[in-house]
Amino acid sequence: MDQSAKPATAPDSPPALSRICVIGAGVMGSAIAAHIASAGVPVLLLDRPEGDDRSSLAKNAVARMLKTEPAPFMDPAAAKLIQPGNTEDDLGAIAGCDWIIEAIIERPDLKQALYRKLDTVRRPGTPVSSNTSTIPLAALTAGMPESFKRDFLITHFFNPPRYMRLLEIVGGPETDSAHIAKLTGFCDRVLGKTVVKAKDTPGFIANRIGTFWMLVAVRAAIENGLTVEQVDAVIGRPFGIPKTGVFGLIDLVGVDLMPHINASMKATLPPGDRYRAFADDIPLIGKMIETGHTGRKGKGGFYRLTRKDSEKIKESISLTTGEYAPSERFRLPSHIRHASDLMTAPDQHGIYARRVMGETLAYAASLVPEISDDITGVDKAMELGFNWKKGPFALIDEIGPARFAALLQAENIPVPPLVEKVGSGKFYEDRDNIRNAFSPDGTYKPVPRADGILLLEDIRRRGRPVLGDKSGALWDLGDGVACFEITTKMNTFDDGVLALLEKSVSHVKENFKALVLYSDADNFSAGANIGLALFAANMAAWEEIRKLTAKGQTVLKALKYAPFPVVAAPAGLALGGGCEFMLHADAIQAHAELYAGLVECGVGLIPGWGGCGEMLLRLRADPRTPHGPIPATREVFEMIATARVSKSAAEARRMHLLRKDDGITMNRDRVLADAKARALSMAEGYVAPEQPEFRVAGESGRTAFTMAVDGMARQGLVTSHDRTVSGELAIVLTGNGHDVTEIVTEQQMLDLEAASFMRLIRTTPTLDRIGHMLETGKPLRN
Amino acid sequence: MNSVVIAGYVRSPFQPARRGELVRTRPDDLAALVVRALVERTGVPPADIEDLILGCAFPEGEQGINIGRIVSILAELPLSVAGMTVNRFCGSSMQSVHIAAGAISMGAGDAFICAGVESMTRVPMGGFNPMPNPALYKKRPGVYMDMGITAENVAKKYEISREQQEQFALRSQTRTREAISAGRLADEIVAIQTPSGAVTRDGCPRPDTTAEALAGLKPAFDVSGSVTAGTSSPLTDGAAAVLVCSEQYADRNGLEKMARIRSFAVSGCEPEIMGIGPVQATRKALSRAGLSIDDIGVVELNEAFASQSLACIRELGLRDETINIDGGAIALGHPLGATGARITGKAAQLLKRENARYALATQCIGGGQGIATILERI
Repeated sequence: MDQSAKPATAPDSPPALSRICVIGAGVMGSAIAAHIASAGVPVLLLDRPEGDDRSSLAKNAVARMLKTEPAPFMDPAAAKLIQPGNTEDDLGAIAGCDWIIEAIIERPDLKQALYRKLDTVRRPGTPVSSNTSTIPLAALTAGMPESFKRDFLITHFFNPPRYMRLLEIVGGPETDSAHIAKLTGFCDRVLGKTVVKAKDTPGFIANRIGTFWMLVAVRAAIENGLTVEQVDAVIGRPFGIPKTGVFGLIDLVGVDLMPHINASMKATLPPGDRYRAFADDIPLIGKMIETGHTGRKGKGGFYRLTRKDSEKIKESISLTTGEYAPSERFRLPSHIRHASDLMTAPDQHGIYARRVMGETLAYAASLVPEISDDITGVDKAMELGFNWKKGPFALIDEIGPARFAALLQAENIPVPPLVEKVGSGKFYEDRDNIRNAFSPDGTYKPVPRADGILLLEDIRRRGRPVLGDKSGALWDLGDGVACFEITTKMNTFDDGVLALLEKSVSHVKENFKALVLYSDADNFSAGANIGLALFAANMAAWEEIRKLTAKGQTVLKALKYAPFPVVAAPAGLALGGGCEFMLHADAIQAHAELYAGLVECGVGLIPGWGGCGEMLLRLRADPRTPHGPIPATREVFEMIATARVSKSAAEARRMHLLRKDDGITMNRDRVLADAKARALSMAEGYVAPEQPEFRVAGESGRTAFTMAVDGMARQGLVTSHDRTVSGELAIVLTGNGHDVTEIVTEQQMLDLEAASFMRLIRTTPTLDRIGHMLETGKPLRN
Repeated sequence: MNSVVIAGYVRSPFQPARRGELVRTRPDDLAALVVRALVERTGVPPADIEDLILGCAFPEGEQGINIGRIVSILAELPLSVAGMTVNRFCGSSMQSVHIAAGAISMGAGDAFICAGVESMTRVPMGGFNPMPNPALYKKRPGVYMDMGITAENVAKKYEISREQQEQFALRSQTRTREAISAGRLADEIVAIQTPSGAVTRDGCPRPDTTAEALAGLKPAFDVSGSVTAGTSSPLTDGAAAVLVCSEQYADRNGLEKMARIRSFAVSGCEPEIMGIGPVQATRKALSRAGLSIDDIGVVELNEAFASQSLACIRELGLRDETINIDGGAIALGHPLGATGARITGKAAQLLKRENARYALATQCIGGGQGIATILERI
């Protein structure tokens, strides 16, 4: 990764770590190393010597990760930052590392033996942390020298480290607080993690609650006679829990992990812990492990995929017989939408939900302050470690703490003191426009935010937007910077969004210095609302579609040529029109997890809001692009024709969606602050860009692209409608008959886009593609 | 007319484009190293050299700016030595030999370096800026046809099965493997210094390939076709050079006379089946030499594709034991501009080694052409 791809750092940035050592090239260790490398920091990855090439374990791990999906690396080039080695020949190199992460097998004796070895080579004062998920810190440091204890802590990453935002950090009584502060800062800003301080208790926070939750859910499902499909529907969407639910999640992490975790929990938990009431072995799980049904990595788990006549069939296990049968689609009644609906439902699903989530939320509430000083740490851990939309306390708030207490009593579940204490109040309350959380001492305290974090949810809490309607809002971020937010489904564009954006541009011109384009939703924007386009096409409302295309062009160019700097701050999806929206900003400050691309060809269209021209300009501006009319055009043509989407911001930079000077922020919660800082840095003396002129490849260039597509057709790589669509794309990119000696203006380029777009949307195969995409979420290859 | 001889032949290792050991080597530097080595090995007095005639199929980018002259200066030949670039696609550096032979015949020079180079890594096939004539593409798309498709067309027209192509590819790999292991290629190769060390060996051959492995490959150019990556020559980086001089000059200077150039020819054919080009060119060259194909004891037939090689072999009635004795381009690689010099030099070398009387070097050329040279043992 080049220097410019490094995350933006604020003036109060943490001390840089020049090199990090990860020991243990297993699944977790190697993926942690990959993530550190993705952040631009060199890594020494060591494992025990084995085979002729004594560093083969670490080398093979790196090679394996380059083929793994989802990719542990944000950019394959980052693999070069990992130096593989072994714990004998390369031990000395540890002296050059500023942080040593141990991620070897979960055996205290082996870990301690390694620590003793490390102590002979590491620079005194270098922090050493373990990625253990089950062994208490006290057990790991027992008998170790005081100097080691001072430097030792636990940094618990979640699997997969690139994608899971949670990092639990655990210090012991002797741990130097400077190490905690330094690594917290580094993991937050450089690795992009939300760091939650946990106490040295079994399973720390997320796994303590999460494993309890899974255990109770499995046991109760068997006892209450529910199917796996029912369980995953009940303990899923209504609670804001991913649709993998419980059984899908166990299949993902491995059924065989359950008894290991169980044994470790039973060995370390205090005697009266509620966990023990559910910890007896579950015969079905033992049987599944015996027969190799260990989940997705094995022969299947609670679910499995089988093939019959080349058709994939999803099957589920019967919790009573252990036999598989085709899965049955199960849907909760439509009025069951929220946690509170289920928790009060009289049917068997309500009974089950009350039992599982009652136990789980009560267990979580009983563990503060034992595992975390505050409730926010617990909620963050479950939100980011298990991808729950709301943590346990936020869920109790949704149900209502008093009602929750009553439900527990009815279920004969002990009501935790903290729930009794909050009484008829709530765990979270807004006071003076600031979010406060209930503390074990009975007071409300502001929800802590790490320095430099700016969240739209906090801005929202402070008051009303400057402009706003159901499509979106314009917010005042302070310091003269405004923020345009889209609030439609998947942040898609329709005429409402465009109208608000147009109004916002005028408003910012009069009242602000700069504008940031941002959303705290999962996705920046999934593009234009193609459902509306299909509806209009079915009614033959071509004029309406033409107007919407023209409007999009006008508004995005108004954004581009506005007399103030515009910074796009995308995260998640930025597709199609959403990508074009991003491309029209003066600068981009992207979250590292950016999935951007001009994907219109997938639905039989081409970019119609200036995306073609913006990409040509980006390619031409790169001095590495070979000269002449073809190379830049070919790159854009290939990218758009294949509807390529970046798998990270680093890849988006390779694709030229991000320019050299655009920034990447690793921590999702810091994207807005970084974007605002960028916007402010551009505000003084800002001059809007000049209108570009395009030199196109002309008819000869178009012929070259036609030839290339003809060749691909022969190879069976493109369909008949692909040829039509790419033909229109070639017309636009090569200037539709303009000679290579002529200049094409930006407006002419926009007109070409619009004309091709309108020709394509009037074709039946394009409408079939749109319909198919809306129905299945997948592209139609017609 | 003066008699013309081949008096030296060297080449760089041939390495696969984009993944081989020459990807970071500029083509002009590569060619200069090979030219320098030719001068040193043959002992030709540099000041006597009339011209450096360099073949290159895509003379642009690092292969542009009249790379022939650039290489002449990079190789530190005297400034009096001229330099030109020749483009006849795959036949470029064989054409260099023909140009030199023509000049020598009419007394316009005594010694010429005829070289060829192609970095298919650094200058893509088709060039950076392909700008086909739109009207011609409509009227005669075959002119711009992908070479792989022309190979498919030849396979269809001459009814050459996929299995036959694979047998031929395997033959190429086997002959090459045997030649390498017997050290028969070592003498012609010039080590090339790169930042990551000296490159001394060919990188394209796949000595372990099997009939089963070849049979498992997908068609490379046409989903329903028979030509695969295994039965095509790979994209290659490489350079080659031969010393061409008058026989009298060679005698005067004690240069090794490897072979005499007896005749040569070029010929056009249908672009859509360009692979058949060698047939007509060879017939013309044979006729000019007053020979028949039965007189030919050594054949260097460029293996652009197995299908076109087999079609040419069949049409010309070539004998198997005479063809590509040390392997061919399917295994060794085909750096477009360099191949002509390689197979001409190789044919001259084999003529002596195999104790044959006449040799034929011939190639097909994109756009629908063939080129052929007949050599005679001295």
